[in-house]
Amino acid sequence: MSATVRWKAATMGMRNDPAVAAAVFVLWALLALFVVYPLAMLLVRVLTDQGGFTTAGLAAVLSDRHQIRAFGNSLLLALLVGSAGTALGFLFAFTAARGQLPRWLLTAIDVAVLLPLVSPPFTTAIAMIFSFGPRGLITYDLLGLKGVTVYGLASTFFSEVLTFFPIAYLTLRPLLAAIDSNVEGMAFSLGASRWRVFRTVTLPLTIPGLANAFLLLFAASLADFATPLILAGNQFPVLPTQAYLQITGLFDLRGGAALSFALLLPALAVFLLQRYWVSRRYYVTITGKGAGQTPFDSISPGMRAVLLAACALVALVVVYFYVLLLYASLVVALGANHAFTLQHYRTIFTDGLKAIRDTLIIAGLATPLGGLYGIMLGYLVTKKSFAGRRTMELVSMINYALPGTIVGIAYLIAFNDPPLELTGTALIIIACYIFRYGPTGIRATVALLQQIDNSLEEASQGLGAGSGATFRRVTLPLIMPAFFAGLGVVFIRSMTAISATIFLVSISWTLITVKILENITELSLGPAAAFSVLVVVIVFVVIAIIGRVLRLFRAPGAVPMTSLLGG
Amino acid sequence: MIITRRLLHRAARAVAAVPLLGLAVFAQFVPMPAVAADTLNVYSIWPENWARPMFEEFEKATGIKINFVRFSSGEALARVIAEKNNPRVDVLFGGPVETFAAGINEGLFEPYKPPSFASLPTRFRHPDGQWIAIADDPLVFMSNDKFIKENGLKAPASWNDLLAPAYKNMLQMADARTSGTAVTRIFSVLEVNGRDENKAFDYMKKLRPNVQLYTKSGGGGTLPVGLGQAGAGIFFIVDALDTKAKGYEVTISFPQEGIGTAAEGIALIKGAKNPVLGKKLIDWATSPAMQGLFAKYKINFVPAHPDVALEPSLAAVLKGAKIFPIDADYAGANRKRIVDRWVAEVLNP
Repeated sequence: MSATVRWKAATMGMRNDPAVAAAVFVLWALLALFVVYPLAMLLVRVLTDQGGFTTAGLAAVLSDRHQIRAFGNSLLLALLVGSAGTALGFLFAFTAARGQLPRWLLTAIDVAVLLPLVSPPFTTAIAMIFSFGPRGLITYDLLGLKGVTVYGLASTFFSEVLTFFPIAYLTLRPLLAAIDSNVEGMAFSLGASRWRVFRTVTLPLTIPGLANAFLLLFAASLADFATPLILAGNQFPVLPTQAYLQITGLFDLRGGAALSFALLLPALAVFLLQRYWVSRRYYVTITGKGAGQTPFDSISPGMRAVLLAACALVALVVVYFYVLLLYASLVVALGANHAFTLQHYRTIFTDGLKAIRDTLIIAGLATPLGGLYGIMLGYLVTKKSFAGRRTMELVSMINYALPGTIVGIAYLIAFNDPPLELTGTALIIIACYIFRYGPTGIRATVALLQQIDNSLEEASQGLGAGSGATFRRVTLPLIMPAFFAGLGVVFIRSMTAISATIFLVSISWTLITVKILENITELSLGPAAAFSVLVVVIVFVVIAIIGRVLRLFRAPGAVPMTSLLGG
Repeated sequence: MIITRRLLHRAARAVAAVPLLGLAVFAQFVPMPAVAADTLNVYSIWPENWARPMFEEFEKATGIKINFVRFSSGEALARVIAEKNNPRVDVLFGGPVETFAAGINEGLFEPYKPPSFASLPTRFRHPDGQWIAIADDPLVFMSNDKFIKENGLKAPASWNDLLAPAYKNMLQMADARTSGTAVTRIFSVLEVNGRDENKAFDYMKKLRPNVQLYTKSGGGGTLPVGLGQAGAGIFFIVDALDTKAKGYEVTISFPQEGIGTAAEGIALIKGAKNPVLGKKLIDWATSPAMQGLFAKYKINFVPAHPDVALEPSLAAVLKGAKIFPIDADYAGANRKRIVDRWVAEVLNP
């Protein structure tokens, strides 16, 4: 059966299939309700005043020179974090993929890199405050410097790079691993130096990945609100923090919403670039006709030592920050009374028990639903043809591409009144997570399904397997990684997100991250640190379990997973 | 193909089940505002470690259980505004009267005069009962002992002491856009300068180079001062005494020219689902029944009710300090203009 005939058959079957039509209808209804409607309500709120249309609120905020400066600062910070984070991510990915490291060292690198990704916001920011500044552990106690300021661009930049470079690492490492080392080996045996091979073979093949990593980091930094809230200080205001302050400080919902809309433009630009330009430029190096890989010793022993030392240094900084966090959770009051205590853990398991329970219930419900939503939508838009297929894919990405503050405010405005009265329920938080972080599962599913060359399925059928067996033994195992990637991301974000959900927690449902922010503002550093440690432990355990399950499904040379984080 | 389609069927059924599951979740987790007739919903601006014991005492005294969540004053008010058409809570508890004044402009509150109304000094109550004060909270200077000693200074005893070059880039205090503490501080400066705005702003502009950070929350700078990351700052006395109680070596002092104090309020939300219970909480919180418990739980607010005696150790700290109330009418009428001017001339010159 030729591919064309098969495609037609599938399409025909679909068109007449009421079940698929029902699934499409339900997905559209959900997208309309939880993506389009809240955003429309937010827009209405920004552009109307007492029933009339007006752009006055928008114009007032957008022409303010301080807000313009904040907008510029946001772009500058995002550019810097994007560049430096990508470079750092590449350093780690290259070392891991090409350094021929022993297994334990790879695991160590993975753990150090993943720590910032799975921890709640604020953790690096707090550690920065302790370590630098006029009496910081590093600047004062170690280096003896005086009069150092910790607030501003430098520390915000440093903290964000450390928080976000794992995204670049996760994007680049599978890409580097997938580059057929035979190509490099050939260039080498033709007489090119290692440096020349790197420059003319490895690097060009990685450029789409680098661009992708840069854009992801750019978007993550653009939307980040927690780090600048603590570290940016007064000299370096950025837009997400300004929007938050506009709402919570000046009680100006319209102004805050307007500021959020200013973020929409660069966020969408980045998203479209990433979606329609970069993702088209990946070089497929996995086909059915895989050849055996001969290991190519692409870096010299000296260079290997340098790379390892650089990675070790960064890893050391990360580990130092988390040791400090652990220490802060185990002493009475960091900086004043360093007597050992378990008091803070007792506090979080008594007063904080409700937050822990709520967070786990919400994450427990959002995770499977988000994972299911991801592969459902991904599968339908890739393999089935129906009207509005591309539009559905695009709409599903909206909440993912928007900064969390916008999504949170939009949900708050949209779901407060009957009949869609969801504020105060767990459902509003769960829905927020599913539609904001589920898209990672969609992207992963789409990427996987696109990578499945028809030749694989044809080969399976040619060898005598029925189409059912082919689906079960070829297609399904290939989608499973996407399902679990989706699960993992929704879970990580359910445990660590704050920018959207700070507006959605309520009397009945609260979250650990909101507690952490509250503890920090109340100066209860011990409980804040203890909560953070708890989150890191829970996430690591769950991710380890998901990873274990994932390994069962992973075919050799499985497709690279797209990034784990959407800002 | 057949099996694929069967799988699709199964998948479609799974998708169709999502909303059903959603409904099930919904049914299970929607908090019915009045689950029990004796449950009250509250946004607390007081930190949890103070609000929780108060609410537990209230439950002990009345049998009414309180569900509450804590937000900073700005977050709480933004939330109540957003929920205006369909309020989620019955009472807004704690937080500087500033916040309540802003809420009145939005028409958020239901006027209510509790039994204590008549016995409260006029500055501790809104004339119509839109809010009632439950405590008073003076501002203080707080300095890091080690910093003071190393720089050969004395704990600041005048507003002008803070202008000393030794404090360059070493002060932390709150941002007027987000914090009632900051607004009280700015009105204190206006007051000690005889409400001469230009003179007051000259002072604040001169102080600016010494300020390392204007923090989002009123107490945001206390930990940095405790750690020595900042040398000194201006805070509410509750936050300052809390820092000291945690073991940080800091000194609390007062300017000889005087410093302002802000009342902490409580208000009934308009359209509250449990107005009767809400009023009971307001009755209790504005009376000696609650304010007499501050000392027991080491909450260093000054009670608003005249019948509650000041706790001795707090009285000792306040002894000799010149403290004046911020004129609510003057502050209310000029707040927005002054804060805007502060943002334009002091924060972002």
